Amino acid sequence: MAAAGDGWAAAREKFRSARALSSVESRKDPATEPFRSKYAARALLEEVKQLLSGAEEGGDAVRRAVLEYELGVNHADTEELSAGEEHLLRCTRLLEPQRLSRRCVALYIQAQNNLGILWSERDEIQTAQTYLESAEALYHQYMKENGNPPLDPSEHFMDEEEQLTDQERSKRFEKAYTHTLYYLAQVYQHLEMIEKAAQYCHTTLKRQLEFSGYYPVEWALNAATLSQYYLSKQCFMEARHCLAAANVIFSQAGQVPSAEDNETEQDQQDLRQRKAEIARCWIKYCLNLLQSARKLLEDNIGELDLDRQLELKAQRKKEEDEKENGRKKAVLFVTSDICDSVLAMEEKVSCVYPLDFQEAREIFLVGQNYVQEAKEFFQVDGYVTDHIEIVQDHSALFKVLAFFEEDYERRCKMHKRRVDMLEPLYADLNPQYYLLISRQLQFELADTYYEMMDLKVAIGNRLEELDTHTIKKINSLAQLAIKYYELFLDSLRNPDKVFPEELEEDVLRPAMVAKFHIARLYGKLITSDGKKQLENMQTSLEYYTFLVDYCEKYPDAVHAVETELELSKEMVGLLPTRMERLRAKLCPFI
Amino acid sequence: SVEGDAIKVYVRVRPPSEGTALPDGDQGLCLSVLSTNTIRLHSKPEPKIFTFDYVANMETTQESVFSSVAKNIVESCMNGYNGTIFAYGQTGSGKTFTMMGPSDSDNFTHSLRGVIPRSFEYLFFLIEREKEKAGSGKSFLCKCSFIEIYNEQIFDLLDSASAGLFLREHIKKGVFVDGAVEQVLSSAAEAYQVLTMGWRNRRVASTSMNRESSRSHAVFTITVESMEKNNEIVNIRSSLLNLVDLAGSERQKDTHTEGLRLKEAGNINRSLSCLGQVITALVDVGNGKQRHICYRDSKLTFLLRDSLGGNAKTCIIANVHPGSRCFGETLSTLNFAQRAKLIKNKAVVNEDTQGNVS
Repeated sequence: MAAAGDGWAAAREKFRSARALSSVESRKDPATEPFRSKYAARALLEEVKQLLSGAEEGGDAVRRAVLEYELGVNHADTEELSAGEEHLLRCTRLLEPQRLSRRCVALYIQAQNNLGILWSERDEIQTAQTYLESAEALYHQYMKENGNPPLDPSEHFMDEEEQLTDQERSKRFEKAYTHTLYYLAQVYQHLEMIEKAAQYCHTTLKRQLEFSGYYPVEWALNAATLSQYYLSKQCFMEARHCLAAANVIFSQAGQVPSAEDNETEQDQQDLRQRKAEIARCWIKYCLNLLQSARKLLEDNIGELDLDRQLELKAQRKKEEDEKENGRKKAVLFVTSDICDSVLAMEEKVSCVYPLDFQEAREIFLVGQNYVQEAKEFFQVDGYVTDHIEIVQDHSALFKVLAFFEEDYERRCKMHKRRVDMLEPLYADLNPQYYLLISRQLQFELADTYYEMMDLKVAIGNRLEELDTHTIKKINSLAQLAIKYYELFLDSLRNPDKVFPEELEEDVLRPAMVAKFHIARLYGKLITSDGKKQLENMQTSLEYYTFLVDYCEKYPDAVHAVETELELSKEMVGLLPTRMERLRAKLCPFI
Repeated sequence: SVEGDAIKVYVRVRPPSEGTALPDGDQGLCLSVLSTNTIRLHSKPEPKIFTFDYVANMETTQESVFSSVAKNIVESCMNGYNGTIFAYGQTGSGKTFTMMGPSDSDNFTHSLRGVIPRSFEYLFFLIEREKEKAGSGKSFLCKCSFIEIYNEQIFDLLDSASAGLFLREHIKKGVFVDGAVEQVLSSAAEAYQVLTMGWRNRRVASTSMNRESSRSHAVFTITVESMEKNNEIVNIRSSLLNLVDLAGSERQKDTHTEGLRLKEAGNINRSLSCLGQVITALVDVGNGKQRHICYRDSKLTFLLRDSLGGNAKTCIIANVHPGSRCFGETLSTLNFAQRAKLIKNKAVVNEDTQGNVS
């Protein structure tokens, strides 16, 4: 036994060095020899295997399984998958009979985790899924039947006195299981089981909090991103919860003492960028909530439907009364120490649909604050794309708020704010590098002017008679809208300035809508000069005709512009008669 | 026409390296070139046919690769367009040979020199011709930079002392690497000299599986600026030519081109830093709703954003090794190239259809 004891001491020492090489040293390996430490660790593990097979202690199947596990991971790490698989399978085979025991369960789960990773590298996600789901099941079975903190695999090569505390054991075991869930989240994502993947992401985040295994910044960013998933599912309560938790956890990041002294300029900047990213997620939250509410409330011409508004308000009242024992809590992150801060954060903004201007304005203001916060970091100098995206969101916030505004003059002013923020950016932007954003801005500016023109017309219609000021205003807004639609259409031209014969799928609808709107705008221009009026009608007709002809030539385009096409056809039928009449009026003697 | 902005894909099959060629001829090859744009992969049970813009067989000369891939791009660069040429493929598939030429010390005059030196020659030939035509009215300024992206960090290959540069955007000039050295070029020979100097600074790794594999992406960028004086009116035009050598495609698994594959947490103590990518993917499929994704594209895609679906001319040379042992990698390269063809200028315009038709 003494001799065996010596062998054991040597084996233990080598095992320990191998682990250190693998996990610590290997990170410092030069780029030219990325696996140097791993290869060295592998050699040591092989030696340990030799030592054990000679000694009496070698009879311990669990220890051999630990070695097989380490060798398996090592081979997989160094891109030798088949060898890795063999070792890992040998490990699970050795453990099979006692996999539910306190000594083995942790190792068994980790081996299955690694087999899952390995198979995913072979693009066999289903096989990976089997391993990981069985690891998940084993965890549950163990916790149900036993539940005592199991031994950590590394303990099999430790002396009695070095053994871990139960608390540490439990921590490591839970961590391994968190990894199982994290891998499963990826598996489900690859298999396009989106909802399940999201649920596993959520659980992973939750467990990271519970077992304090996270970096605050990273965690906050993940939670903020997850909120965007919930937005796409219209789950505003969940989205808000993720964002509130993100803010709370993020605020821990500055407080970590280690990051204090040698904090570089770069780290500071990173931190500011992350904060701005989370702010951007909040902006989207406010925007989506407002836009969804708008969808609920608008009638068939896009105006506020008052009956619907009353109906929804009554419905909400009823729900609030019944709420007491609603769903809630199930998906929340809440652990006791951050619970209060998260709740306080949540209270700052509603998660139910705003139903009138007051409610909409409150959400708008929260969104606008986050716009300012995001812009502090994403300045146009250095972050052109991000900056413009934020400004576009700001513009969108104004646009949706305007929907809730009943006063047309004030509504018009909101649109003017949009123009004021977008126009200077557009003027500076080089389309050679920012073609896409440039087009988006052209289109949005055109649309905004178009909307303002419509509002001015509506205001004018309430007057007894259109005064010259209003007419001038309407005409100039219409001209500006035309200008930006034309700029957009020009951006589609090829280098020789020729407009494409056939439009590409992704610009088809915008291009057709631009043509259609230009046609309508020429129809709206007000002039007392009959000849000028005739000219405008002629131009209008040409644009309508473009739509009709194009759809005739490319029938596939019809689906994209059905309403517009129908109206265009009608106008192509009507306009010539109207023009004829006008001509007759102008020259009554012909 | 509709093909307009799509990325051109050129597949080149290298000859099997000496020693790996099997005596039983065709048996050792996993593919055959059927025509100048189709290739057949001998997969089982059914062979698979791929179609590309061009397929170059083993006998294709360097000159012909250059004329069909790069000539056009260099020309449009002279006309003010940005152009990008990528080389893609697994380690050992002939990327370096295609782009640079044989690994001799003096590639520049070598008859087998690759796309890059030939592009330099052609570019400066065009500049000289323009200058002669326009007389003193027109002048040119060429500058170049050479950077490497390794582990999502940017290094300047022209300044080996520098580390960790950052990408920034300028509202007029687009994306640029902040602080990268820019060298003025006056001839093709000078350009080549700068290139070879930087090339030596690249990170190369050897593993027991691969003798030598480049683990970084290298981007050589030439800025061509022309200034034309026409009766007091000064017309300045500027364009970029990017020559990109991607890391061996087997390494690309790190950068989401492969899709499937779990990101490991590895060491049990390390964080689950890739969870964000999973969530990002979930949000990505969100049905066109307004959302923000916190994780920025990779450095490479950000730098070349304009080339990958902007208004630039882009060509990918996918290099494949015909050996049957390379079947898996070849298939994945061809699949990648197939997908690349679909990348187009995605000019999605925010367009609100509500309430405008009245």
